[in-house]
Amino acid sequence: MNRDEIFSGVQEIFRDIFDEDDLIIEYSTNSDSIEDWDSLNHINLVSAIEKEFKIKFALGELLTLKDVGAMIDLMLVKLK
Amino acid sequence: MNEYKFSDIYVGLTESFEAKITSEMQDRFLKICGDINPLHIEEEYARQNGFAYRVVYGLLTSSFYSTLVGVYLPGKYCILHGIDIQFSAPVFIGDVLKVTGKIIYINDAYKQLEIKAFITNQNNKKISKSIIKTGLLHE
Repeated sequence: MNRDEIFSGVQEIFRDIFDEDDLIIEYSTNSDSIEDWDSLNHINLVSAIEKEFKIKFALGELLTLKDVGAMIDLMLVKLK
Repeated sequence: MNEYKFSDIYVGLTESFEAKITSEMQDRFLKICGDINPLHIEEEYARQNGFAYRVVYGLLTSSFYSTLVGVYLPGKYCILHGIDIQFSAPVFIGDVLKVTGKIIYINDAYKQLEIKAFITNQNNKKISKSIIKTGLLHE
């Protein structure tokens, strides 16, 4: 799975979690970019990504992520 | 009360309990929430609209989802994050409900549990189903 395919899947997850069918994310999108991106929705995002891509994150990995691009970089490593 | 800790939890772990709906419950729920819709308090109105009796509040029956997670699965250390409920059949006073929940997903990083739950009546008819997300106070 390449970076674009991962990004497309992550975008669909964001649209589902935040109930916005036309939500557009970018690599620089972070929790300041989306009003409803609170702690509970953050957990929901991580769970949805884990289930969709069949991967697991450790808390230490997640704490260092600063935006969507960093998340996708981490996913690329896990999906190799 | 169960006291499951995060380390005790596994996908597939299931708990259930039963509860009988009484008219006193219905009356108390009305006092709490003030929902005076006649479907819940007038037998004649309920019959005219196709129901055998006045209909028990959906959120009264759903309050047992709170009991499920707060007392049974995971129990004492539960912190409720959210519930998504769908109703599928009416409940009437005197019904005996069975509430069942099963762990379907564990978010290890944030220690969140996902529980698939449902409620059936004494005729084994499903009256609602839900997806419940909880945290845990104890590892």
